[in-house]
Amino acid sequence: MSAATIDPWVTAPLSRKFLHGLNPLAKLAAPLPAMALLVFTRDITTPLVFLALAYIVVLAGARVTSRMALLLLVALPVAAVVVGLGMALWTDASRIDTSVAVLTIGGWTLFGGAVEVGMATGVRLAAIVALALIAGLTTTGPDLVRSTVQQLRVPYRIGYTALAAFRFVPRFGYELEVIRQAHRVRGAHGGRGPFAALARWWGYIVPLLAGAIRHAERVALAMDARAFGAHPDRTERYLVPWRGRDTAFVVVFWAVSAGILWYFFPWTLG
Amino acid sequence: MTRSTLLSTRLLLVCAAIGVATGIVGGIAGVVTPVVLAAAPFAYGLVLGAHVLPGIIAQEVLRRPMVALIAHLMAALVASAFNPAWIGRFLGTALLFGAIQEGVAALTRYRAWGAWRFFISAVIIGILVAAVVFFVADLGKLAPWAQITYLAISVLGPVAWTALGLGIGASLRRAGVAARA
Amino acid sequence: MTSATAALLRVEDVGIRHDGATIAAPASATFEVAPGEVVLLLGPSGAGKSTLALALNGLIPHAIPATMTGTVTVAGQNTAVTPVAQLSTQVGMVFQDPDAQLVTGTLQDEVAFGPENLRLPVEEVLARTEVALRRVGLWDRRHENPDRLSGGGRQRLAIACALAMGSPLLVLDEPTANLDPQGIEEVYQALGELVAAGDRAIVLVEHNLDAAIAITDRVVVLDHAGRTIADGTVDAVVRARAEELHGIGVWLPVATLAALRLRAAGWDLDPLPLDPAELRAALDATEPPASAPAVPYSVSRDARAPISADLARSAAARLNTEPQIEVRGLSLRRGGSEILHDVDLTVHAGEFIAIVGANGAGKTTLLQAIAGVIPPPRGSVRVNGADIARTDLRTLSRQIGFVFQNPEHQFIAHTVYDELAHGLRRQKLDDAAVRVQTERMLERFGLQEKAGIHPFLLSGGQKRRLSVGTALVAGAPVLALDEPTFGQDRARADELMHLLRELSEAGTTILVVTHDMQLVTEYAHRTIVIGDGRIMADDTTSAIFADDALLRSAGLRQPPLGRAFAHVRHPELSGVTRLGDLPRAADPRRTVA
Ligand SMILES: Nc1ncnc2c1ncn2[C@@H]1O[C@H](COP(=O)(O)OP(=O)(O)OP(=O)(O)O)[C@@H](O)[C@H]1O
Ligand SMILES: Nc1ncnc2c1ncn2[C@@H]1O[C@H](COP(=O)(O)OP(=O)(O)OP(=O)(O)O)[C@@H](O)[C@H]1O
Ligand SMILES: [Mg+2]
Ligand SMILES: [Mg+2]
Repeated sequence: MSAATIDPWVTAPLSRKFLHGLNPLAKLAAPLPAMALLVFTRDITTPLVFLALAYIVVLAGARVTSRMALLLLVALPVAAVVVGLGMALWTDASRIDTSVAVLTIGGWTLFGGAVEVGMATGVRLAAIVALALIAGLTTTGPDLVRSTVQQLRVPYRIGYTALAAFRFVPRFGYELEVIRQAHRVRGAHGGRGPFAALARWWGYIVPLLAGAIRHAERVALAMDARAFGAHPDRTERYLVPWRGRDTAFVVVFWAVSAGILWYFFPWTLG
Repeated sequence: MTRSTLLSTRLLLVCAAIGVATGIVGGIAGVVTPVVLAAAPFAYGLVLGAHVLPGIIAQEVLRRPMVALIAHLMAALVASAFNPAWIGRFLGTALLFGAIQEGVAALTRYRAWGAWRFFISAVIIGILVAAVVFFVADLGKLAPWAQITYLAISVLGPVAWTALGLGIGASLRRAGVAARA
Repeated sequence: MTSATAALLRVEDVGIRHDGATIAAPASATFEVAPGEVVLLLGPSGAGKSTLALALNGLIPHAIPATMTGTVTVAGQNTAVTPVAQLSTQVGMVFQDPDAQLVTGTLQDEVAFGPENLRLPVEEVLARTEVALRRVGLWDRRHENPDRLSGGGRQRLAIACALAMGSPLLVLDEPTANLDPQGIEEVYQALGELVAAGDRAIVLVEHNLDAAIAITDRVVVLDHAGRTIADGTVDAVVRARAEELHGIGVWLPVATLAALRLRAAGWDLDPLPLDPAELRAALDATEPPASAPAVPYSVSRDARAPISADLARSAAARLNTEPQIEVRGLSLRRGGSEILHDVDLTVHAGEFIAIVGANGAGKTTLLQAIAGVIPPPRGSVRVNGADIARTDLRTLSRQIGFVFQNPEHQFIAHTVYDELAHGLRRQKLDDAAVRVQTERMLERFGLQEKAGIHPFLLSGGQKRRLSVGTALVAGAPVLALDEPTFGQDRARADELMHLLRELSEAGTTILVVTHDMQLVTEYAHRTIVIGDGRIMADDTTSAIFADDALLRSAGLRQPPLGRAFAHVRHPELSGVTRLGDLPRAADPRRTVA
């Protein structure tokens, strides 16, 4: 509807791609076991396979925007490699395979084992993130809130409070900007360096929160005046149903996850 | 129709406002996370600790049951709407942190609001987070000193952010913001 | 309560004390509203009108901590024991701040929100939404995000939301206080159509009587303590008791105020007019008193009305002094697009300048660039010869003081004293000097008793004074204020403008952005009209407001007095736009503004 920057309110673009038609909770639940179990893997193959699985699901099932492509094809791989290398630097030589030296600077050596451990961590984190993106990239905030109300039975008063709170974000952002300007011209905590910056930010907090709380109180009055919370439930014009395909998606995803874990079995028992 | 509710609309929305305002800090923490993970993974606890803020401020300002959990939930839902890629992380930390803060407050039957009470939840959060991240990031492979630093910082992070949250709450009380809550 | 009279709303001896407050306001309000009736609720600031409005649908005592005595009965239901949700089907509310009434993402969802809460079936929800949106003229925009509406549009949306609740009574608390002239016009157009349809009763709390009086059936007046002192038709209350109401600080239509003044000066104006058209008609039908001068009042001003010296003052300033502020070829980009285009402006010391224009015209941006709040391009803004873009912040605050719209945004200390002392300490003055000057400032702004308390705990008017004080304390010869009267009632607005006038007379240059045209005509020597990032006009205030076509093209409107006196047949009144230019009675009991 609007070409505006970030509007959490825009309803999901009508898309034939299957992920957009699934219930947000299905998209959250499907990869959950895999994500939890990945925490305890140490090899590099298993997370790579899950990374691939996540990419296949997202690329096949979502309408790929340029921003999304950038995230998937550039940002995530780069982050994985950077984190992997960072971890490699910090590993303790006594706990890893030191048979191959990759790089030696003075008395310090980077061992192949360290790189391997680091990369495993990088890929593992990337896989966990990628699995989370299945829901993240194809779900809008309001839909998520509605499905928590409609399926998880979260009280609608809490759900709709969250919807109302979406409106707070741009407003508070604008207020923060004005407060910063005002404090700047008043010369509050001028000076450079991290400590001056901290003192400055500290000064913004009370005006920001005070204004935020007062605004919230006014919004609450306006909602109460319109019968918010009158009944245990309310008319829903937007339904986010749980259909057969949601169950199917979750079951299939769980089965595939189990299959992968069984095949590559990344744990040594005993 | 005459249903008395534990949580008034006003309380819910004030929690949401606190969640959103502190969410700005959480957003910054989210941005620096990859940098910290790459440069100094053992300092991650310091960054993650920022996520304790909504609950601490809500409890300190409102001093009511459920406010910590709700403030966390609101912060997470709103943050997810704007940065959907991290839905899982936002919801997970919110529920975990909120439940711990709420639990500690419930154990004192919402009567004791001394600073020590907040710090107990901070330490619990620190230890729990330390354990999870330890496995995810395979920190067992780090040098012993790094592991010890990591553990210390993981616990220190939430404690430091809790202290900050309490300071903010106190300033708000002084400014009369919480007076009518 | 099953009396024969079919009163929709009955307020009996209602007193309300907010938790933490010492006295009840209102103390004892009593009135009734019949179906389809439009009741205007008047009273001085602090009488408790807003508080009373919140009691009419049970928000007090159910949602706001307060103690209430007396009874409010809505369609036979006592509000003290009926939940707000149930009362909401009888009483719809519209509040002051349009932004604080939005919950959802599109106009349609917003209007549907209330009916959905009532568990109405979807078809009924949609039907009510359509009717309500059509009534306020927003149906075509139903799929848009409310953020994209103007202030007036958002307030019309709030009215639609109240209508969709199906309630026979609508309560509006200063629904136009924050709007620009065009927005006010839009809202009253919508209300006018509603009244014409005749199916809803309205209780209206409003300071802007010029717009409200036309749709009003009956007027209820509260005194300072919040006791009902008048209840009757517009004729019986406003026309017949105007002087009494004026005496207790109730705002009257500007045309009525003007007529009161003319009457005191010997003009025969009976009955009192309530709007500009009536005033003009009354004047056309009467002869000037024998004592009236033959030259226009606005020129033959007496020494007691120094504000009308704008022509003389501006001219003198221009001749005698170096320019204090020079803006040359200022163009400014923000967020990727150019907002100000090649602005030139010269300001001399001691001028009182108003900057006006429609929403989004660039007024704030211009003022902020002049004050260095947003850095202008180098060489484009000079204050006292110094390039603002190259001035460091410490020096800047000594050159020009900036007062933000919301005073709370600019408070940085924990006590009122420190707030004022901050600017002095930054100049590295020694403690004794800081103390002396701070105390002088506290006294000047009537804040001595408040020195030790947190700035956030002051009342709205006190906060505003403190923010002006902090801008002045560093000794800045120029004061820039962005909508200083935004969200304030007329009494506070007036108090502030008087303060600014005093400062101006003492030599401070004042630049103020505002939407209140009557304030502009009353106080500013010179007016700058901004449209689409350019200066559309820059002249003495009287010259600007003499040009109706210009005002309309800039999205502005004549202040009420200008409309009344534009083509009046008496030469001595022709072209008068402000109360200060009208003849005064022998004893000017109170300054009217
Ligand atoms: N939330 C509150 N807590 C404590 N006192 C309050 C609160 N709101 C209003 N008051 C006090 O109640 C009194 C009546 O205020 P109210 O806002 O109803 O006046 P009003 O007639 O609407 O005035 P105005 O014309 O300025 O809008 C004032 O003394 C005010 O300070
Ligand atoms: N930081 C910014 N980034 C992008 N655009 C901006 C920014 N600030 C203002 N604008 C735009 O510049 C234009 C002028 O804004 P400005 O606030 O100066 O208007 P104004 O005349 O003060 O309006 P109002 O009467 O509503 O306060 C508007 O269209 C506004 O959307
Ligand atoms: Mg009021
Ligand atoms: Mg502006």
